Amino acid sequence: MKRVGVQIPQFFIIFFLILMMFLAFRLEIPLNWIISDALVRLVMNGVLVLSLVPMLRAGIGINFGLPVGVIAGLLGLCMSVNMSIKGLLGLSAGILFSIPFAVALGYGYAGILNRVKGKEEITATFVGFSFIPLMNFFWSTAPFTNPAMLWPIGGKGMRPVIGLKSYFAKALNQLWMVEIAGVRVPIGLLLFFGILCLLLFLFFRTNFGRALKAVGENEQFAGLAGINISRVRAWAVILSTVIGAIGICVYAQSYGFIELYDAPLMMAFPAASAILVGGSMGRHTHIIHVVIGTFLFQTTYLISGPIANELMIPEVAEIFRLMITNGIILYALLYEGGKSHAAV
Amino acid sequence: MRQPVKDYRIGIVTPTLSASEDEFRGAVRVAKKYPGMIKHISLPENFQEEQETAITQILSLGDQKDIKAIVICAGFSGILPAIQKVKARRPDMIVITAPIWDDPDMMAKYIDLCLDTDWIKRGITIPEKAQRMGAKTFIHYSFPTHMAKEVLAKRRDIMKETCERLGMKFLALNTPDPKTGAGSTPMLQFLQEDIPRQIAKYGRDTCIFGTNCPMQDVIIAKALELKFIMAEQCCPTPTQGYPAAMELEISEQDAGDFDKINTMIRRKAAEAGCTGRLSTWPVPVGYFFPEFSTEVAMKLIEGELTDIGISSLSPMAKEVAGVDVYFEKMKPDLNNYYLIIMDSIIY
Repeated sequence: MKRVGVQIPQFFIIFFLILMMFLAFRLEIPLNWIISDALVRLVMNGVLVLSLVPMLRAGIGINFGLPVGVIAGLLGLCMSVNMSIKGLLGLSAGILFSIPFAVALGYGYAGILNRVKGKEEITATFVGFSFIPLMNFFWSTAPFTNPAMLWPIGGKGMRPVIGLKSYFAKALNQLWMVEIAGVRVPIGLLLFFGILCLLLFLFFRTNFGRALKAVGENEQFAGLAGINISRVRAWAVILSTVIGAIGICVYAQSYGFIELYDAPLMMAFPAASAILVGGSMGRHTHIIHVVIGTFLFQTTYLISGPIANELMIPEVAEIFRLMITNGIILYALLYEGGKSHAAV
Repeated sequence: MRQPVKDYRIGIVTPTLSASEDEFRGAVRVAKKYPGMIKHISLPENFQEEQETAITQILSLGDQKDIKAIVICAGFSGILPAIQKVKARRPDMIVITAPIWDDPDMMAKYIDLCLDTDWIKRGITIPEKAQRMGAKTFIHYSFPTHMAKEVLAKRRDIMKETCERLGMKFLALNTPDPKTGAGSTPMLQFLQEDIPRQIAKYGRDTCIFGTNCPMQDVIIAKALELKFIMAEQCCPTPTQGYPAAMELEISEQDAGDFDKINTMIRRKAAEAGCTGRLSTWPVPVGYFFPEFSTEVAMKLIEGELTDIGISSLSPMAKEVAGVDVYFEKMKPDLNNYYLIIMDSIIY
């Protein structure tokens, strides 16, 4: 039963992906462009999706409070731009600056989540939603000084969108970019993602990583074994927040802009859909789910737009996109709910 | 810049700074020009849910005896009831809206002067300008929620007709909808990937137009990279899209100085090899309207202006904007509702 359950959404998406690849080929949409973009999108969104893993593993659920990590990342990026640090160094500085913020914010966020055991997902959603307006206030008064970041008429406060071209836009995307048969392969970017995945994989092999998994699998048992559950859960949240912060740094350099204000509001949802498409089922989440899920999910988006425009049925792409994003979350919630119901 | 103080005041109503920078700063600028004469209030951030607050605020302006005119630059629907109440209590109060979006006939009945941008006529002016800039293809990016709005859909149809008349190829392409689900992100990502594809297909002499504000950052950034034509943004102003895409470094003393901002854009365009490929209106309409409306209100109060018409408004508008502003009646039978198109600046 479980096997079938896991496979329905993936099967559905793979089927559509193949169908669309075929259509794209028939409509003469250049496939090498699509594949190049798919590789970029995999990493661009992949790190954000990866950030969901520690919390899922610790049994806290999907990190719908991803905006918390994203904001830490944005703070780091803004500091790096404010100091006009350029190139890969600028991106690294952005990541480094964001980590302390992520740890601090993650700590507070974990405190909240530890108080609402069993209702983490809905609480996390609202932590994200309520944190964004607070930060909007901060952005409009933030004491940054680089004139390329400030409002063009008022001269104070941050612009909603900050261009990164002369700082570190595509710094990682362009690193060791090679062209193979018309497909641009961003080796540096893929390698960065690979290393992050590997580090997280190795983390779960450490004693602490095992403790984290144990808490996720059976909290009572882990408690009896002498594991400080609240502490382990807090670290899982902090780790998720830190990876989320790194995720937005990678995202922003690839996109070429830092987006402030309401932009991070809905970022958790596509990430959640992606990991669920990959076959993640709560505690049973593996890094491979992240890779497969992000690739399938983003590539279907990527390819459905141009096809729908070619076929003159643009609304269908939109309906399809919403159906996947929300439908997959619903499916996963139902499946999870059904499982625990059956267990009782 | 400072003018002598007179014995009356004018109320200016705008959205908050975070809701719309242009109108807010426009009002602040007028308040600096006429110190002590301007009462600037901002509407609730969440206007649609707090209309009552907005009505109370406007009524409170009407209750102050020394306020002789109210200028409302809001771009919302649902403000007319407040104006009707003010007019009932103070028939002498001059009300200028630039713009609000209620029923035009009703507005013209109660409001002394209604102003707005000529959104539909831009369906003609934008493709014409694009052709002058050398475009052979015109791409219109939008999405279902925008195309469900009558004004935007109508403008697209007029753009299509104009392109056909001018012998340009017209394409209406759809992007992921930012009003549903995941916000603007998928839309912007789509544009990043789709624009290079379209330019590879149709060549550099293509004009790209997007109907949604966040799109402009990506479109202009891509224009700098791929050298296609961007004739006008959805809201034509040097402060939309250009600052982020060109990373304009605008110091605090230059902020709001459009001559300097335009010079900066021209230089950046030249550096990128895009001279003659980018254009917009030299001053944001939202920044122009508060000052222009206040000037009109003052002239009306002081009796210098008695007959509102295209011939009296045009020279005043030119003085405020620094470029030609073209007025047109919203409907032939309404004598106090005008739509404007501003002259363009090509960088």
